[in-house]
This record gives sequence, C-alpha cells and structure tokens, in this order.
Amino acid sequence: MASRTRSWCGVVLASALALTACSSGGDGEGGGGNTLRVLVLKHALTGPMKDMAWVAELEKKANVKITWEEVSADWDQKKSAMLAAGDVPDLVVGTNAITNSDLATFGTAFEDLKDDLGKLPNVKALFDAKPELRAMATRTGGEIYTVPGYKRFWPQTVTHQYINKKWLDELGLKTPTTWDELYDVLVAFKEKDANGNGDPDDEIPMDWSPVDTGGFGYFQPSVLLGSLGLPISAGGGQGYFVEDGKVRNFFVDDRYKRVIEFLHKCFAAGLISKDVMTQDYTGYQSVGRGQGDVAKVGFSWGWTASDRFGAQLAGQYRATAPLLAEAGQSTPTTWTYDSYGENFPANQIAMSASTGNKDAALRVINAFYDQDISIQVLFGQFGRNITKAGDKEYKVLPPADGKSDPSSWKWTTTLADNGPTWIRDDIEVTLPTDLQEAVDQSEPLLPSIKNMDLKRDVFPAQFIQMSAEDLTTLSTSNQTMLSITQPKFAQWITKGGVAGEWDAYVRQVNGSGMPANVATLQRYYDKYAAQRS
Amino acid sequence: MTVTTHLRRHWQLWAMLAPAIAFVGVFAYIPMYGIQLAFRKFSFQHGLTGGEWVGFKYFIQFFESPLFWTLMRNTVTISLVTLIVGFIAPILLALVVNQVVHSGRKRFMQTATYLPHFISTVVIVGMLQVFLSPSSGLVTTLFGITDVNLLGDTSAFVPVYVISDVWQHCGWNSIIYLAALSRVDPQLYEAARIDGASRFRLIRHVDIPGLIPTMVVLLILSMGGVLSTGFEKVFLMQNTLNLPVSEVISTYVYKIGILSSQFSYSTAIGLFNTLINFIFLMVTNQIAKRVSGTSLW
Amino acid sequence: MVAAYFRSRTPGDIAFSVVLAALCVLILTAVIYPVYFVVIASVSDPTLVATGQVWAFPRGVNLFGYEQIFKDERIWNGYLNTLLYSGVGTALNLCVTLPAAFALSRREFRPRKAIMLFFAVTMFFQGGLIPTYMLYRDVGLLDNWLVFVLPAAVNVYNLIIARAFFESSVPEELYEAAAIDGISYFGYFLKIAVPLSKAIISVIGLYYLVQHWNDFFTGLVFIRDYDKQPLQIVLRDILLSNQAFAGGAGSAGGAGNYAQQYADQIKYGVIIVSTLPVIVLYPFLQRYFEKGVMIGAVKG
Repeated sequence: MASRTRSWCGVVLASALALTACSSGGDGEGGGGNTLRVLVLKHALTGPMKDMAWVAELEKKANVKITWEEVSADWDQKKSAMLAAGDVPDLVVGTNAITNSDLATFGTAFEDLKDDLGKLPNVKALFDAKPELRAMATRTGGEIYTVPGYKRFWPQTVTHQYINKKWLDELGLKTPTTWDELYDVLVAFKEKDANGNGDPDDEIPMDWSPVDTGGFGYFQPSVLLGSLGLPISAGGGQGYFVEDGKVRNFFVDDRYKRVIEFLHKCFAAGLISKDVMTQDYTGYQSVGRGQGDVAKVGFSWGWTASDRFGAQLAGQYRATAPLLAEAGQSTPTTWTYDSYGENFPANQIAMSASTGNKDAALRVINAFYDQDISIQVLFGQFGRNITKAGDKEYKVLPPADGKSDPSSWKWTTTLADNGPTWIRDDIEVTLPTDLQEAVDQSEPLLPSIKNMDLKRDVFPAQFIQMSAEDLTTLSTSNQTMLSITQPKFAQWITKGGVAGEWDAYVRQVNGSGMPANVATLQRYYDKYAAQRS
Repeated sequence: MTVTTHLRRHWQLWAMLAPAIAFVGVFAYIPMYGIQLAFRKFSFQHGLTGGEWVGFKYFIQFFESPLFWTLMRNTVTISLVTLIVGFIAPILLALVVNQVVHSGRKRFMQTATYLPHFISTVVIVGMLQVFLSPSSGLVTTLFGITDVNLLGDTSAFVPVYVISDVWQHCGWNSIIYLAALSRVDPQLYEAARIDGASRFRLIRHVDIPGLIPTMVVLLILSMGGVLSTGFEKVFLMQNTLNLPVSEVISTYVYKIGILSSQFSYSTAIGLFNTLINFIFLMVTNQIAKRVSGTSLW
Repeated sequence: MVAAYFRSRTPGDIAFSVVLAALCVLILTAVIYPVYFVVIASVSDPTLVATGQVWAFPRGVNLFGYEQIFKDERIWNGYLNTLLYSGVGTALNLCVTLPAAFALSRREFRPRKAIMLFFAVTMFFQGGLIPTYMLYRDVGLLDNWLVFVLPAAVNVYNLIIARAFFESSVPEELYEAAAIDGISYFGYFLKIAVPLSKAIISVIGLYYLVQHWNDFFTGLVFIRDYDKQPLQIVLRDILLSNQAFAGGAGSAGGAGNYAQQYADQIKYGVIIVSTLPVIVLYPFLQRYFEKGVMIGAVKG
C-alpha cells in the first residue's frame, strides 16, 4: 500500500512539474488561411450549428470555413475572464453577447467597423434604411464595434392582458373596463365557484409574474400605470420614463402611488395570489396552467394566451384593452411600449481587433445581413422551416416535429432571435402561429399605444450609448434606489401603509442619487432628440 | 541551530512539504498580484497592473455607500447565526449517532443524514418555495401558519435560511467528528464503566473531551468566514419582500458587477471582506491558543 | 467493546436508550423526507409538484425527465470525464496533502508556524479570476484536463484538518519509540502515521472527492472543448435546454410550452443521476470510522 502510494506521487508530480516547466508554448491560434474561430451565444434549446443548413450557405457566401465555439450557459462568467485576458475569438455572434457596458470597458478589444463599411454593403444598406440603427451602433467616441439588427415583425408590446372569458360568461359578467369594474369582477371570481369544479375557494382572481429585486419587467402590474396615462417602456425597468420630452422616475410619481393603493385594496380583499411576491417563475407559470381543463387564474398578463395558460386553457381567455383608472376619465390611457427592445436587437455581432483574417471576418458579418440568410437565421432553414415562395415572399412552416410548438421548434432548429438579422421592410412573410397570436392579441392595446407620442413619450434606451463613467454611476445609484423601492412596493401591496409613508419614502428615494440619474438620462435624451430631428 | 544542521535533520520533512508549497506557490501566490486592482482604476488597454493608481478610492466609495451598514448588518447576522448553529448541530448529531450501538443502524443513520448535502442549492430553494408557499405549502398547512409568509417576511428569512442550511449540511459536517470519535481510547470507556458512570456522563467526560481539538480547529476556521455568506442561496431566496434583510455583500457585488463591469470596485469590496475575515481568524486563533492550547499555528 | 459495556443496563441507561431512539427517529424523518421528495418529484407531473400537490406519493407518474437526461449521449462522456478527474485529482490531493500535513504536525520542526501562515494566507487572499485565467493560459492549462487536477492539488482547509489529526491522534510516545529505533521521517510517516490515520484519510479523501465531483466552475470557465467537460456541466446544459424561457418569456420572444413544463422534473432527476455514485461510495468509507479500529491496531 505504502510503496504504491509513493510511486503514484512520483508519477503525478513528475508530470505536473514537466507541464509547468514546458508551459508557455503558445495557444496555437489558427488565425490565417480561410478558417475563422467564431463564438456563438445560443439559446439553451438550440441544437448544434452543424445541423443548420444555412450555416453552409453562409460559409459559401463568405468563402470561409468556420470553427464554432458554442456557448449556451453562464456566458457572463466566461466572458469577463475571456475579455479581460484579451482572449477574443475572431467573431462573437449573439444578441447582446457583448453588452454596451462590456464595450464601455473592453471596447478596444474589438475592431472598429466604422472604416470598414465599404466592405460591408449589407450593413451599410441597413444603416441607410434604419438610421436609428446607426445611432445605436455608434459609441460615444464615434466607433462602431458591433452591428445591431432589425426583426420588424414583433408586436409593439410584449405584455398582453388576459381575462378568463369563460368565467365571466359563467357568472354573467361583462369584461371590466375600469379599475372598479375589475375589482367587482375579481370579487365575484373569488367568492363564486367560477371554474365550476365544485370548490369555490381554489380560484386565484389575479396573478402576475414575479417582480424582481432589480426592477420591473414584462407581465407585471406596472402596466396599470398606463391607466393613468403614465407612459412606460419595456415593462417599467428601474422606473425611468419620458413624458412629453421630460425624463422622470415613476417611483416618486403620485400615479404610481395610486396604482399601489388599488393593488393593496385588491390584495387586502384576497383577490391577488397569496404567493405573488414570493413565488418563482416556475410557480407562476404552473399555477396559470390550471389542472386539466380547469383554469385557476382569472386575470393576468402574459406573452400569448397559449404561452401563459397552456394550449388546453388558452381558449378560455380573451386579450383585453387597458383599463381606465375611473369611468369617464379625461386622461388617455397608455401601455408599455416594447418595440424598440424587441425589433431592434442590439450588439448582434462583433469582430476581434486582433483577428488574423480581417477580410474573411468582414465577409461573414456582411453575409449574416443578407436577405435570405437573415430570415433563415431568424426562423430556420429553407425547406424545413421556411418556404421561399418568391423573390420577396416567404412562408414560415409549422413545426415538422408534431410534439413541438412553433416557438420551441424555432429555437431548437436555428439561432432565432440570437442571430444577426435584418428583415427587410419590403418583403412579405407569413408568420409562425405563435408570433401571429402575439400580434393579434396586441390588437386591443394598440389604441393606447397610439396615445403615446413615440418621440416624446418613450425613452429610446436602445439607441443611446453612454460613457463608462455614466453607466457606473447609474447602476450604483439605481442599486441604492431599488433597495428602497422594491421592498416598499411589496410591503405596501401586501400590508398597506402607502398613504402614511409616502412622503418620507419620496425623500429617501430622492436622496439615493436618483435625481442625478434623471438629469444624466435627460442629457442623453436631449442629445438624441436633437440628432433625430 | 544552523541551517545546515536543520536541513540535515529535517530535509525529509521539507521534501514532504515541497509539492504542497510548489502547488500553492504557483497557483495561489502568482495570481495574487491581481489584488492591486482594488487600488487601481481597471483599464483594459493598460492591463491589470497598468491602470491609474487611485489608492483607497473604491474602499471609501463602499464605506460611504448608503447601503454599507445594511449590507454589513445583514451579512454578519446571516453568517454569524449560520456559524453558531452550524457549528453546534454537527457535534450534537455526531454524539447522537455515536451512541447508536447497533452497527447497521448506525451506518444507516450516518448515510441518511449525509444525503441532503448533495442536493443542489437551486433545488433546495425550489423545495423551500414548494414547502413554504403561503397558499399551498406542506409546512404551512401542517403547522397552520397563516399570519407569517415564511418566504417573504423579514423576520422569517434568517431562520429559514439557517434551518435549511443546517438541515442540509449537518450530516456531512458531522463526518469529521465521527472520525474524531472513532479514535477515543476504548480504555477510557472501560475505566468509566468500572466507576459506574451513566451513558450521559460518559458523553460529557469521554466523548466531548475527545472532540475538543477538532472543535477548536473547525471553530477557528469558521470564524474566518464571518463575512462570507454563500452567494447562491441568498440570491435565490431573495425577493422584494425580504430584500431589507437579504441583501448581503456578495449579492450586492454581483448586482453591481453584472450591470457594469466594475472590476476595481468589486475587488476592493472583496479585499475588505477578506481582511475582516482574516482578522477574525487571527484573533480567534490567538484566543484559542491561550484558552485551549490548540491553534492553527 | 462499547457494546459489551452497554450490556449491563441500569434504569437510567434504558431511559437514555428510549430518548436516543426517539431522537434518531425524529432526525431521520426530518432528513429523509425531503430526500424522498426529490425522488418522487423526479417522476411526477411537474405542474402538480410546483403547486404543492405532490407530497406523499408520486402523482402523474412519468419518466420524461430521465428520458431527457439519458437520451443525451454527452452524459456518458461526462461521467467518464468526471470519474477520471475525481479519481486522479483525489489521488494527487492525498499524495500532496498528507505528507505536508504530517510534516507540519511535527512539533520539533521549527519553521512550521511560518509555513502554516504561508498556506493559511491563500485561504483568504486570492488574485481573482482574471489573473488566474491568465496564469492558466500561460502555463497551458486552458482547455487542458489537468486544469481540473493541478490547481486544486492542495486545499488548505483540508490540510489544516489533516494536520490537526496527525497532531492529536498519533501518540507522541510512538514517535519517540520509533526514533530510538532510528526510523526516518519517511518511514515513520508511511509505516506508522498513515496506517493509524485511516479515519482522517478517508474523511479528507471524501472531502476532496466530492469537491472534484461537484466542480462545475472549472469546466465552465477554462474548458472550451465539449468532449472534456465533466458531468456537472453536461447535466447543467441538459437542464437549461429544458428550462428554456423561465425567467422571462417575452424577452426571448415566446415560450416553449412543451419544453418548459418539464424543466423542474429534470431538475430533480439530475440530482439523482449525478450523486448516486458518490452516495453509493460512502458506506465503503464508513468502516474506517468504526470505533476502536485504529487504537486497537496500535496497542493490541
């Protein structure tokens, strides 16, 4: 035993030392020739790159051979070491794989494409067709390190509002149009056996997606701010919004207080899920799916009815219009405007500043923004996922795998929303059913979105580039602000007390550095607005 | 004693230490130059050591942050309670398991208590969500808890965190004590039997003294973690309701870091953390040396 | 020996036994139930699990989770890699740690305090990810399986525990006796100290083994070639690919109903698949903790 142990030690140590000694031999980067090393950030569902037929087409168009390095999890952790060590592959592909804040810190690791647009005719044409994309791609110093994309077909809002029509009919109720009507409907949902399974207590009148400690997002009650005409975008985020050209933060706005008061009234009456503040996303989704054909949730927000409530229950729900805060109010309603984030994906492809084969890398970038490649990157390859019906006419096919739904199918077979894409405005596409469903269910919300002046009521965060210092200050102060606002949000809704604590709270939030952030954002907004007009 | 006589006498000990010293030297000491990032403005162009020297700027930024005292209070509360309960529980468990005479039952007991250690944090937190849900949770229903939301109330966070932590790691952490108990001299039991000692006194006068050296070493080591709360579990258990008590240094650093690559700031916070931990370790070590004669060095 | 002692029972001892038995039952219930829950949740309908409707018996039984895990061929390669890394890694750990711990336990070895401090400092002060990454790159450990083995060769925590055991468990008289016989440190370590310390060697070995087995971060940051990834990374990817859009359906543009539904089931299955080997191993190590094994060997 002993001697065996000892010889083991010897062998292992010898090899270890040998390795340390003959170490720094170099990495053996390929570089030259026509081979490129491309890192691609895929969705976890997405299959291997070699199985995508458009990849061969891309390689042929660009006349290169690509070695893919495929990443689908924990990219943030990998990235910081990789970037800080200057270890960047020839190309990095993936929507926001390299974020604005990465670029603020590590910008020079990437090639400035500003002077290469001559070799990128597709990108140049994209920038000419969509000038906001050029603004989006241009850093504060004028460099262009990444190319964004344009997806065109996504609805103007991601959050849609649903009510269980079957329950309404069952109880002889009308679709609510105001907060008060909603309250009454929810009370009926709670007190009666709305789903008809014999148990009057298992209905959850209202539920929403877990609100994060980092701010508001999609499918959350922040959309009720729209009832009071407060225009938000991307679900609310960290509270910043623009109204008539002025940047503000709704966390200290009286209209936010009114929404909280209404929600507390509902919560106190038992109309909101008891788990609403503490459940995770899985819990929230599972409850929405009910049991078999028995629905559990009466009123909620989601992407599409099928996604939110499952295929079996989707038919019971109707998409509804934004509610009025009170009947006959003069303030026009608004809704969350998400189109910028959805249709203008940022930072889709970047090129290493130290690539050994610059021309080949440029050809690949250009090829991604080709009309046929772009649509295949987004919806899948010709033949299996798409039929090309004419020069400018495409039809997205239903999943070939009968068990799959259109969304999973797309994500499994292609890079989808993660890939560099330019969907031209002049082509015709028959959309997949899930996207069509989302577009259809946006219908009741459109009048409220029309009430917003997109130029003066939406903060164009997507198109604005900030300096590293400003980004740092913003995020640090926001962290302080959120540590005050998020617990209060949850506490006021579940336990009440907003009326008494509001003034002290406003003072506290104003002391968190938030007003300075508003000023910073106003500065960037004004600059962008001047540029645009 | 001269160097030559020392080496002549002890060269074999040096040889036994050499591999460990080499590995630690290469893999732990060489990267340590990265610590200076806490005093420099991180600059990608100028590399890790080339950024502008800013002295204690980032430390001061942290101390002056409005969240500083909240973070300190939360971190110390969570880790101190975990430390104390997590220190005592495995000892008690080991003593109990050690009393089981039947060898098969004893092994079963050991294996069973050791299992939960292998459940990943994500799943543990997922299970807490299911068991403690105010509307449908098993624990909530079983004990009729209606006035507290065990997942959200600020008063429930630390107990839930600590109890689940102890539950999960108690068995695993008791292994070392079982190993220590295995070397208690049977002659001591024999002697105690002749004195007519009860089993309870046996534990007090034979088992516990046998554990003390191990206990002291582990206590010193765990005091060196007084400002380190596990990141993942706290982060996963966080929600808007319990945020006032669940924001700790590690989650704050994560949030600050992820939003904008603030390497220098997070390195500075990390270094501050480390210093406090190190001081605690040194102090505990000195106290232990005086009181019990056992210490790390 | 202990058993023999307890054969002579007093009323107090009987009361003690009753309390002890009750305590054990209580502990076992508290510990085993959640483990049992993981098992039933791994074969139950995940929607029922998430809504708290599965607690006594599996409901909506199906093996979808396990099918998803095992239909992925990468898992076997991941298993092999993990076995290799854990096996070689633990062997190296023990070969490096035990002699060092022994050397540090010798009281007559004066520099030991300084050396202890040299080790202990690294438990606290670390360079951070970026310089570590650069070091690994410079010595050729990036994308090299040895990265799982070499950097973690010494865990200072384990070193300290092993040293404490050598110090207190090997009777000093033994060394004095052996020294008179003219035994060298090497000889004493291999022939006396190691055989007497089986309990601590198996504990430290177990600590190291589990550390390697659960190591996920190393593969994540330092390995590019998927064929070299350990089991934990493979399982994580299988889990994520089913988790799909949890965390924000909208941002991704739509959720995969079919996939998402089973993410939770896989989550539970993954635990069983990944830890079974380590759990099976434990009883084999347990016999080294049995009372009296060591002392008996010395004094007998």
